[in-house]
Amino acid sequence: MAHRWGMVVDLDACTGCEACVTACHAENNIPTAGATEAARGRAMHWLRVERYWEGDFPDVKVKFKPVMCQHCDNAPCEAVCPTYASHQTDEGLNAQVYNRCIGTRYCANACSYNVRFFNFFNPQWEKPLQLQLNPDVSVREVGVMEKCTFCVQRIKAGKTTAKADDRELKDGDIQPACAQSCPTGAIIFGDLNDHESRAARLTHSPRGTKLLEDEGTEPKVTYLQRQSWNEPDTQ
Amino acid sequence: MMPMDRRRFLKVTAITGTTAALAGCGNPENQIVRFIPEEELVPGIAVWKPSVCPLCAAGCGVIARVMDGDAEVFRKGKPGVTRMALVRKLEGDPAHPLSKGRLCVRGQAGVQVTYHPDRLVAPQRRTGDRGTGQFTEISWDEALSLLVERLDAAVAAGPAQVAFLSRPRPGRRHELVTEFLRRLGAPAPITFEIFDDAVLRRANELSFGRHQLPTLDLAHTRYLVSFGADLLGTWNSPLAHSVAYGAMRHRPGGVRAKFVQVEPRVSQTGASADEWLAVRPGTEGALALGLAHVILKAGLRPAAAAGRAGLLVDGWQSGLPAFTPEAAERETGVPAARIERLAREFATYGPAVAVIGGASLAQTNGLAQALAVNALNALVGSIGTEGGVSFMPQVALPVAQPRVLPEALASAAPQVLLLDDANPMFSAPPAWKVAEWLRQVPFIASFGSFIDETSVLADLILPDHSFLESWVDSAPESGAASFVATVAPPTMRPLYDTRALPDVLLDAGRRLKQPLTPAMPWQTFEEMLQTAATAEAAPNATAAARAAAPPAPTAWRAPVLDGSVGEYPFHFLPLASQALLDGSLAHLPWLQELPDPLTTAMWSTWVEINARTAEQLGIADGDIVEVTSTAGSLRAPVVISPGIGPDAVAMPVGQGHDTFTRYASGRGANPLAILAPVAEPETGQLAWAATRVKVAKVAEADGSLILFAGATRERPDHTKGRG
Repeated sequence: MAHRWGMVVDLDACTGCEACVTACHAENNIPTAGATEAARGRAMHWLRVERYWEGDFPDVKVKFKPVMCQHCDNAPCEAVCPTYASHQTDEGLNAQVYNRCIGTRYCANACSYNVRFFNFFNPQWEKPLQLQLNPDVSVREVGVMEKCTFCVQRIKAGKTTAKADDRELKDGDIQPACAQSCPTGAIIFGDLNDHESRAARLTHSPRGTKLLEDEGTEPKVTYLQRQSWNEPDTQ
Repeated sequence: MMPMDRRRFLKVTAITGTTAALAGCGNPENQIVRFIPEEELVPGIAVWKPSVCPLCAAGCGVIARVMDGDAEVFRKGKPGVTRMALVRKLEGDPAHPLSKGRLCVRGQAGVQVTYHPDRLVAPQRRTGDRGTGQFTEISWDEALSLLVERLDAAVAAGPAQVAFLSRPRPGRRHELVTEFLRRLGAPAPITFEIFDDAVLRRANELSFGRHQLPTLDLAHTRYLVSFGADLLGTWNSPLAHSVAYGAMRHRPGGVRAKFVQVEPRVSQTGASADEWLAVRPGTEGALALGLAHVILKAGLRPAAAAGRAGLLVDGWQSGLPAFTPEAAERETGVPAARIERLAREFATYGPAVAVIGGASLAQTNGLAQALAVNALNALVGSIGTEGGVSFMPQVALPVAQPRVLPEALASAAPQVLLLDDANPMFSAPPAWKVAEWLRQVPFIASFGSFIDETSVLADLILPDHSFLESWVDSAPESGAASFVATVAPPTMRPLYDTRALPDVLLDAGRRLKQPLTPAMPWQTFEEMLQTAATAEAAPNATAAARAAAPPAPTAWRAPVLDGSVGEYPFHFLPLASQALLDGSLAHLPWLQELPDPLTTAMWSTWVEINARTAEQLGIADGDIVEVTSTAGSLRAPVVISPGIGPDAVAMPVGQGHDTFTRYASGRGANPLAILAPVAEPETGQLAWAATRVKVAKVAEADGSLILFAGATRERPDHTKGRG
């Protein structure tokens, strides 16, 4: 059976530390916009940590939520792309073909999650910062939309390694950069078609919710809600 | 102890497949090899090499992904291009007991230290006036003769004429520096880092005989109370504690642990707490004693804890009459009923542990606050127990005298100052007069890779390798229950004409007119790392330290702040930045563009103000305010926050550099520059959270506060999203 890649984010373990954010930049050659362009709203973070404040001081709570492309089964970005640059792969990835993209930005407007980023400029790395680039990931040019790929290069590398070793892919063989760095193990990635995978099992957790579920986008990222502490029964 | 027991040589070599482009071609090793560069690297194939992250004092093990590539290098005075092994990414080392395969946000960015565009590529000699930043490149021969000439003169002039200033990074490298200075007849290195928890080390020495930061066994904790410790962000060993926190939250089928955070402003760590408790700054210790009062009075002390606490809670037979819940409420602002409930929960649902850190210790009563929390732990029996607090076994390595910087500066008038990465011109309060002290030092040599506010004053710069190009080691003081020491070889060849600091010292030592006595026993740092530590393995605990009549934990007094309440109504709370830490990482572009977890601010600095206070002062989000203390004033944009009390303002440390590469210079303001020189009296450590300020709006929002616009559509400001 084909793979169907998905992710689970355990908000109970997420501490908002943002290790995933820098890991994503390092893995995926995401350009640094610089202060001037960042002030114009052009900073690129395929993965961001959102925060939700509840209550007023001093009875205040904050909840963090890492948000990346939700790789929707019914992705609004795909329907509006005139060149099929944004499309669904056989393995359920919401892929962006950079060479097809003509920069209409329709997809970014259609996306409910605001996770698509447009290259307003050719990316620049002041020498020798280009040496940090990951050779496995292409650098996007001006006029192209980009977004989280679930680290497709790692998925391909995992498959290649498994094939070279003449074995099947195991759960945990493939980890996107965010999941690998996460200090608390709050990000879990896996094959949703493999019912034994951790990600597939957690997807059905009673704590699981999808982001903006009512929009019918059918995301493949599941968020496990924060739990609260209740005084144990001391009887 | 056998040498191999003292360190682990990490051997992690994994080969992964490659690239989208090659994926269709089957086995990557069958690709046509264009040419094999150094170190038997196959083009396109990654090799993983171990290293140690030096960006904070935690000492986490990392692995570096090394692949071939073309690099512009500068070697032997000439630029060129060479095909060489290059580090592409850092990950946590799965075999390392601290990082366990994970890596924090700052460690992830460590690769940019090596590839920074403003890194010094060769030794520099000052040509202009001090501080003008005019340097000229010189050869290592010339640089070394200059250094040796000055060292010779200093040694001839008297024994204590050389001073060494660095950051606290325990390990063999520090040991080598200490040995070099000892043989030179110079005093031990002075170490300085603003967020170094020296007060807590002293408290632990008094309470437990361990001059050391604690390790929490969070994987087994069921009730955690943190008094201001940013243990999941920047405090102590944040990565190891975050990994343990993950285990606490993922306990399969187990009882959920409760996490209570007590602090005056919601920190990134506080956001994860099950219960967040606002407290007046500097009164955390009174709350701890209030909890102890209830536990004693209600007879809630766990049976297992009796007889274990010993000295710490001696004198508590009377039940802490001065710290009733009502008295604690008056000090802390926490309702008495809530104190009673928390005390009952804390004593009932163990293993319970309390921890204190950060701004709670940076008060005039910091030591007493820490002693109160230590005693609370002893009261419920959480010292050295599962789910409690422990101290990592240590080998008695030479440690710098715990002298505080102003004292150390006052007692030294050296001819030569050697500067290793410390930047007191940025991180010391102005009243310490570091600038004046540096001005009268005739010769300053820096080993830094960048020009910062302190090294710009150097007469000679001898740039060190980056950590990825060096032999590196760490001897962490916390983060795991067992002894950890890590050594790793270079992961790549140096890009530039740089030399490792330990090797430069060894070389200089050999060239001195009057040879070091006895001579240094090693020719290189690498050779030293092959040998055992000179110090004998010895338990860190010393009965002597404890017997020196520790002050009673009840000796808690309210903190004394600089500035009158009338004129300066707000308690000023500087905080370690999640991205830039103490400002020493402000030069890394990934970290500059990292949205702050609580405010989304990037590339900027800000002042957090309570919503009601802002309304009273007529301040809107983004407005520019002037923050004034008795020591000075600064201007910064405002972030109105629901997570801070009406009588405090908070500000992240990190920005406000005058001189620190193209990415950090001239950006934002430095809260350390307006701190009053208030000290914790027993340790002499800077009480960096004991300054009062006033706040006044001076201008409308001017765009200097840069926020990350992205959010899901639930947020009302979606229309302001990316254009």
